[in-house]
Amino acid sequence: MANQEKEVAQFTIHYTQYLDKHGNPTQPLPSLAEDPKQLVNLYRSMLVTRAFDEKSVKLQRMGKLGTFPSVLGQEAIGVGVGSVMRKEDVLCPNYRDYGAQFSHGVSMSELLVYWGGDERGSNFAKARQDFPVCIPIASQALHAVGAATAIKLRKESRVVVVMLGDGATSRGDFYEAMNVAGVWDLPVVFVVNNNQWAISMRREEQSRTKTLAQKGIAAGIWSEQIDGNDVFAVHEVTQAAIERAREAKGPTLIEALSYRMGDHTTADDASRYRDPSELEQHREEDPIKRLRYYLEQKGWWNDQKEQELHKEIEEEIETAVKEYLSNQPNTPESMFDHLFEKLPEPLVPQKEAVKRLYKGSKDE
Amino acid sequence: MKTFMLPDLGEGLAEAEIVEWYVKPGDKVESDQNLVSVETAKAHVDIPSPHAGVVVKTYGSPGDIVKTGSPLVDFEGDNAEPKEDAGAIVGTLESSDIVFPTATPGHAKATPAVRALAKELSVDLQSVEASGSDGTITRQDVLSASGKAECGFEPLKGARRTMSKTMSSSHESVVPVTIMDEAILSKEKKKDITLSLIKAIIEAVKVEPALNAWFDGHELARKIHSNIHLGLAVDTEAGLFVPVLHGVEGLENSAIRRRINEIKDQVQKRAISVEALQGATFILSNFGNFSGRFATPIVVPPMVAILGAGRLRELTSEQYKLPLSLTFDHRAVTGGEAARFLKAILDSLISN
Amino acid sequence: MSEKTLVEAINLALAHELAADRDVVVFGEDVGANGGVFRATIDLQSQFGVDRVFDTPLAENMIAGLAVGMAAQGLKPVAEIQFMGFIYAALDQLISHASRMRHRTQGRLTCPMVMRTPFGGGIHAPEHHSESTEALFAHIPGLRVVIPSSPQQAYGLLLASIRDPDPVVFLEPTRLYRLFKQEVVDDGKALPLDECFILREGRDVTLISWGAMLVETLKVANELAKRNIEAEIIDVATINPLDMDTILRSIEKTGRCVIVHEAVRTCGVGAEIAAQISEHALTSLLAPIQRVTGYDTIIPLPALEQYYLPSENRILQAIQKTLEYS
Repeated sequence: MANQEKEVAQFTIHYTQYLDKHGNPTQPLPSLAEDPKQLVNLYRSMLVTRAFDEKSVKLQRMGKLGTFPSVLGQEAIGVGVGSVMRKEDVLCPNYRDYGAQFSHGVSMSELLVYWGGDERGSNFAKARQDFPVCIPIASQALHAVGAATAIKLRKESRVVVVMLGDGATSRGDFYEAMNVAGVWDLPVVFVVNNNQWAISMRREEQSRTKTLAQKGIAAGIWSEQIDGNDVFAVHEVTQAAIERAREAKGPTLIEALSYRMGDHTTADDASRYRDPSELEQHREEDPIKRLRYYLEQKGWWNDQKEQELHKEIEEEIETAVKEYLSNQPNTPESMFDHLFEKLPEPLVPQKEAVKRLYKGSKDE
Repeated sequence: MKTFMLPDLGEGLAEAEIVEWYVKPGDKVESDQNLVSVETAKAHVDIPSPHAGVVVKTYGSPGDIVKTGSPLVDFEGDNAEPKEDAGAIVGTLESSDIVFPTATPGHAKATPAVRALAKELSVDLQSVEASGSDGTITRQDVLSASGKAECGFEPLKGARRTMSKTMSSSHESVVPVTIMDEAILSKEKKKDITLSLIKAIIEAVKVEPALNAWFDGHELARKIHSNIHLGLAVDTEAGLFVPVLHGVEGLENSAIRRRINEIKDQVQKRAISVEALQGATFILSNFGNFSGRFATPIVVPPMVAILGAGRLRELTSEQYKLPLSLTFDHRAVTGGEAARFLKAILDSLISN
Repeated sequence: MSEKTLVEAINLALAHELAADRDVVVFGEDVGANGGVFRATIDLQSQFGVDRVFDTPLAENMIAGLAVGMAAQGLKPVAEIQFMGFIYAALDQLISHASRMRHRTQGRLTCPMVMRTPFGGGIHAPEHHSESTEALFAHIPGLRVVIPSSPQQAYGLLLASIRDPDPVVFLEPTRLYRLFKQEVVDDGKALPLDECFILREGRDVTLISWGAMLVETLKVANELAKRNIEAEIIDVATINPLDMDTILRSIEKTGRCVIVHEAVRTCGVGAEIAAQISEHALTSLLAPIQRVTGYDTIIPLPALEQYYLPSENRILQAIQKTLEYS
């Protein structure tokens, strides 16, 4: 008897791009393309992200900020995602998602306070239910599905968006999160910022798969890849994914291709493992430049507007930095606060001892 | 072996008191055969067997209170399938008859003698106010906390128990406001005050349906009812009962009066059905038979209003004054709605 | 009439809180239709529905992470890890996140979760089913570690743990699950956390223990009573934060102390208690503090397990040492 082989599963991963690196359309554009107001907003947000990024790196070099992870060259991803999230949705960022955080209500000074080493920066005044910056790689993916489960149980019309890097896709938490998101049909969108680098490890060293998107296929969820430097693509595809989730049609994994133009963090020197000439190739793909080309071609942008905007943003950044620098450090004994709702009795003498020990001194 | 739990005997009934067992261990029963008679908040109910079988164990004796969902009867199965539930996926869990003492929290400072007294009186030392020096709990503290042996407290049962729980829970959630006014009743209307009030309520609901509603305090949602299921507060020796006239807006006057008489009779005879005690959308409390002009009647959730009628007084030979107190739950009803409702009642009562 | 085993008391407490608080959800592997491998969650799904009591895919860190996410959204997740031997995969979410979320966000997001798991040996089980590593969790600021020793304690302490606004690791001594019954009233009364309990009063020696070892400790105390030696037994219950007040008061009274735990000796919680006693009650001590513990080795498979766990004899010998010292 001949062995009957039959295919029981197949998969396809779609790639979406609307604007090439020169700002020219590669396919019919979405309605967003005809909305100058929204496009300028997106453009502005990307510039703010970049300016914040540059300023933060400077502050670190001046010894005024702790280790800082730059998002240089990847601004379209955070900004695009943040622009399609609703206020009541929940964001689970990693540590390189400023664009999304700003769009969702986190202030610049809050992030500066956090990276300056003060927990109070995570006590967001506006985005009350967003998760704070997450350091253990990919662990935020499990928080996201936990929050999404609560949302689903309460029958709320809210979506959770979790952002991760390419390195994160190797970790168990990522697989476990997608798996449960798929089998429980959770209202969650996974956005992977594939900036090609996990510190010094290239994307190819991270996984044998052709795309990272296809890891979602293993969880049975809708998975696709996009050009992460094309804010149109980020906007459209993320919006569709979020609305799918909101309509209880299931989770999505979006792999957004980009490139990490900076070092992993200010404590990293990428030239040790990366040829600077590689950077030049990717500079062409800059997301901000791309959108600017498009805006200028449509006659919605010019040099004067650019200058005015830069000035405006500079002032905004200066205000935030001033606010940050005027932030007084918390008291030494405050490290016992918020350990539990109420400090247990055995710890009260410890807190008192610390208070007495450092009485009068400002800093550790 | 199959355990039959006390089923839900009606919306929200959380417990029942065992009155009489009709079966005992060893008895063989048919499906639907009555197993036991219980008293719920307001009525006696017989509980039928869910299937045929042999009774292995009955839980509780007459007088015991059984919670909904807790075991009532153990049956032997018809199929010889006494598959022991190992209840452990690995390993062996042993059992023994070790007697393990009850531990007392360390912070409750009390001498051994006081601890023994507390144990005897079933007093939780944690909840006792310590009056002794250095925060020690004294013998008197324990005696005061127990209350039981010294002051002759008896647990409430039946309708009184239910009233206690209902009123407490109402107090915890409802935001009550009472507006009061005096209705002028024509002589005609005075002939059957309850009926007149019911008719007035029907008219008032047409004007302000918001008071004929249920409110969900947790979800902050409201259900305005198209039918009026009128609860009538009835005072009996056994306590307060509120039988319900379902769909009263669709009944003829004579039918209403007949139904009122029926349910009052059933209540007095303790023969009222569970359904007849449920589903009220509005309550009328005619309390003025003996004394009391105005009052602040209590709204019973999920309802949002209650109308209290006080003692009738003669105004002229043709007219009477009837004090009315309308309490509404201000979480769900506005002052304007309540005032207009009450006005509609006044208008209905004064007309002929 | 209301005599319950420890595992039945757990079930009772879970049912009580599921009924009392809509935000409580119970989940883990095999807890739904199966009712949990030890039946701790039996009948809960049929009673409360799949939205309140549900099974998860097989991934312990995911279970812990789900709890963190749900708790941040205001639910009160009570998650089960099937055995303590499998909790290690979840340490990342428990230590990196559950214990820290409140502190990290300065109280903006909190983590009112309970992670319950059967723990401890003496059940003749395969590898990994007899773990007693409570010291790992006791070492983490921001986590509470609670261990019941009886059905009454299980009921009251689990209620307290579920109601507590911060994360609790609730370790249930597997050996005690069905070992004995106690009268447990389903009155919804929680027992206090952060407090030791006095199981037996005495003036001659203080015995400090928790979990299943209290059974042996109690047996030894009853034996000693025949010889007119009255032992005071303290059930620590909340391993961290430790209630040293109760312990120190007892030491002041008796002057002699034996700590009993089945967990490994080195860096076990007994070491912390002993250090604090010598720090605060040195002059009350009439003899050095004795620790009767599991040995500094992997707990053996069933064939040799009985030699590992502290026996009545070893406890007796330790007590005798303190009595003979001065």
